[in-house]
Amino acid sequence: MMAPLVRNRIRGMVIHAVLFIVLGFWMVPQVYMLSIGLRTPAQAFDAQLFTWPVTFDNFVTVISDNPLGLIFLNSLIITVATVAIVVAVSSLFAFACAILRLKGSIFLYTTLLTTLMVPLASMVLPLAILLKNFGWVNTYIGLILPYAALGVPFAMVILKSFMEDAPRELFEAARVDGCNAWQTYWHVALPLVRPALVFVTIWQFIVTWNEFFLALIVLTRSEMKTLTIVPMQYSGLYMANPGALFAILTLIALPLILLYVLVQRAFVRGLLAGAVKG
Amino acid sequence: MRAGSVTTAVERRSASRASRLYLFALPATLLFVVFIAYPIVWVAGQSFYAGTADRGTVFAGLANYTTVLSDPTFWTVVRNMFLWGIITIPVQMLIGGLLAYFIERHTHALRGFFRTMFFLPVVTSVSVISLVWVQIYAPYYGIAQEYLKHIGIVMMTSPIGDPKTAIYALIVVNIWQWTGFSMLMYIAGIANLPNEVLDAARIDGARGWRLAVHVIVPMLAPATKSLLLLGVIGTLQTFPIVHLMTGGGPNRASEVFGTFIFKQSFVLGDTGSGAALSVIVLVIALVLSLIQIAVLGARLSPAGKQDP
Amino acid sequence: MATLSIDKITKAFGHTTVIPELSLTIEDGEFCVLVGPSGCGKSTLLRIIAGLEPISSGRILVDGVDMSGAEPPERGVAMVFQSYALYPHMDVDRNIGFGLKIARTPAAEIVERVGRAAEKLRLGSYLKRKPRELSGGQRQRVAIGRAMTRKPKLFLLDEPLSNLDAALRVGMRVEIARLKVELASTMVYVTHDQVEAMTLADRIVVMNSGRIEQVGTPLDLYHRPANLFVAGFIGSPAMNFLNGKVVASRGMVTTVALSMGPTLDIAVERHIEPGDSVTLGIRPEHIALAGEGQANAHVVQASMVELLGSDTFIHANEGEESLVIRDSHGRIARAGDRVAISLPARVCHLFNSNGDRISDATAAHAEPVPLSPEERVD
Repeated sequence: MMAPLVRNRIRGMVIHAVLFIVLGFWMVPQVYMLSIGLRTPAQAFDAQLFTWPVTFDNFVTVISDNPLGLIFLNSLIITVATVAIVVAVSSLFAFACAILRLKGSIFLYTTLLTTLMVPLASMVLPLAILLKNFGWVNTYIGLILPYAALGVPFAMVILKSFMEDAPRELFEAARVDGCNAWQTYWHVALPLVRPALVFVTIWQFIVTWNEFFLALIVLTRSEMKTLTIVPMQYSGLYMANPGALFAILTLIALPLILLYVLVQRAFVRGLLAGAVKG
Repeated sequence: MRAGSVTTAVERRSASRASRLYLFALPATLLFVVFIAYPIVWVAGQSFYAGTADRGTVFAGLANYTTVLSDPTFWTVVRNMFLWGIITIPVQMLIGGLLAYFIERHTHALRGFFRTMFFLPVVTSVSVISLVWVQIYAPYYGIAQEYLKHIGIVMMTSPIGDPKTAIYALIVVNIWQWTGFSMLMYIAGIANLPNEVLDAARIDGARGWRLAVHVIVPMLAPATKSLLLLGVIGTLQTFPIVHLMTGGGPNRASEVFGTFIFKQSFVLGDTGSGAALSVIVLVIALVLSLIQIAVLGARLSPAGKQDP
Repeated sequence: MATLSIDKITKAFGHTTVIPELSLTIEDGEFCVLVGPSGCGKSTLLRIIAGLEPISSGRILVDGVDMSGAEPPERGVAMVFQSYALYPHMDVDRNIGFGLKIARTPAAEIVERVGRAAEKLRLGSYLKRKPRELSGGQRQRVAIGRAMTRKPKLFLLDEPLSNLDAALRVGMRVEIARLKVELASTMVYVTHDQVEAMTLADRIVVMNSGRIEQVGTPLDLYHRPANLFVAGFIGSPAMNFLNGKVVASRGMVTTVALSMGPTLDIAVERHIEPGDSVTLGIRPEHIALAGEGQANAHVVQASMVELLGSDTFIHANEGEESLVIRDSHGRIARAGDRVAISLPARVCHLFNSNGDRISDATAAHAEPVPLSPEERVD
């Protein structure tokens, strides 16, 4: 008979060991990507996860040969603008529903919610034609506004339920303090739902940054392309040189991975605070 | 007299104030009308016309729909989407749930590390993921065939090059990419479980697996329901992985709604049947969502909190 | 400072009428307490006064100006909420000064007024703290400070002490009594605690199911309750109610036979017919412990005794009737003891079958007795 404490410690160690093994398998694709990026041309086609020695030549080559900075900038502009619009628009709308309780706002809310169930697949064709008619093909705005429209419903659900959970007396106190609706929104509602705002911001950032379908259709000129759609091009370009291709893939994947590692604490905190409910 | 005039002034002011409040709802409504509602209405209308948008169209009634429905590829797509949902959703829930359970309840110092690492595929660009997996699956130089050999699985060709296996190979990639999301939803659900209930269950003698199966799993029902809803929608959204890894092939064996619509509309330029397909997908999505909402309730929530 | 007139207001939520029709005038500088059981509509009335709740009909006038549809700041109200409703993301400093900032008060004046309020409420060393870093009593003071700095015409408090523990509550009650003197503002205070009402109010409004049962000074309500509801609500422990029948009625004196035995002659304001059912009310502190055999004595058996040190509460049951007797002379009884009591007719109230008081309370009841010259040392 083992002492319970010893038994617990052994169980903890076993669980940690199993988690590490599972994680090891889970990381294979990413490790593989990095590993190929670090290979010399001679090793590039080895069917091994790891090879030796490693070289950074591929990274040097692809960075100097390709306008990655420009592509990165395209992604950044589109993503930041979309996130800003989504957060602003959805929080205003959530405020109208949850706090102002405007007549008809619940009907509007339910209508907007159905957007969550609309697959992008059935939207790309009409959106493409709409954007063509607007002359917005190959423009930032042509992606930003549709992305925002598609992103608002989810953000709105989260922000609305957060605002509803906030004590109503706080909003009444703001009224007594003389706030008009806008001031209540700005000085009270937004700071109160900060964890949800952070969550929505990060999630929208990830989704927008990685969006592929619409970007593929709207951005046809190469100087407008975003990080998500360029890998196709490079897979043709570097067909015979996987080392260079995977170096580029690593560079493309890296910014968001680093960003997530930086903000994951706030992201999970927002989620734990009950962000995803409604 | 004086009091009376003040009343009307106050009332007039509050009336104009009330209408100005609708400005809060305006931007979201505008975005919705222009970029969601109008396109849907347009595509619904277009699905009854034949020809292309460029060269004029003629009313075709249900012709587009009959064309699409009689296309054998359509039924391949339906089968693929069904397989996709029926495999992806439960497997992700199971793996994600197990990871969440062990990470939340049995790790401390490394909790944040595990949470982050398992979530990384979600934040990795899908195009990167697709190309990496093409390499993994590759014949001769891919690591899949090399390492699976050792456990007795011999692959002569790439699994995505064989019509029989292509869709399953893609499903594996999809599961790998999105399990982290299921895990995080369950983590939030587990973290938000009311401690009193867990304590009560332990005092009642429920420990270990019995605690997990009889108390924790039922209490995570909200997270499970949300994942189901998001899973069905996500399945119908499927596009990049298939487009990038197989392009719907070989021989259209791994075609999904996204790639099918893309081909009809943008490669073949057949706007009418593209539109009809779009409408069919839309209807399927709405019907499935409504069924789920009717049966399970409408909520996106990892926690056991009761909404009013 | 302002006079508040509530003129025939009604309030309905959907089909449920919460306040049927209510009029009330609160004088300039008055400390008015709205008291009643939970759900009696007192909080709704306060929120209507504040302008947080629209009325279904009627008018709200502040200093004679109709403010029925006006926003709270237009009415010049400040409010202390039950949950304090402090902005969790602002420190004490900004919480107190927020209303002034919204009103575009010059920064220097905000600093000065916040400083003054903080000093008055002894919050000076907490100005940079967030609400969650404060104790319940400190939060309460911040909420009061926030209301104070706005120099409101109407100062509204919604059960401000109900979230505090018993000891703090007594302290804060004293503090609010002090503020009342310093601010000299018109104050409306909602509570369900009649002790708070008695100790703080200039005038108490007793409410029950959306109606006003009685308006009066605290001692008025104590000595001259208008009806059974007020009589039972004001005073702790509550007034004893005993069933009886009128056996004789001669002019303004009525003879009542109690179902538990004794017969009493009570002075009445209104004539009542012999044979009518009445309720006799007597406060626990007015029941005298009498020697057996003494005139008008009645013997009851104690079923339970509570010893509080300063007071002894003797609970007795007699048939259907139950009684509480309060003794403040340090006498100790035990459950099962037989106790002789007398019910002095002078301090008894009589209520008719509608619950209205018919006994004459003007002459019979002890007016407050001022301290004698020997007792008061100037």
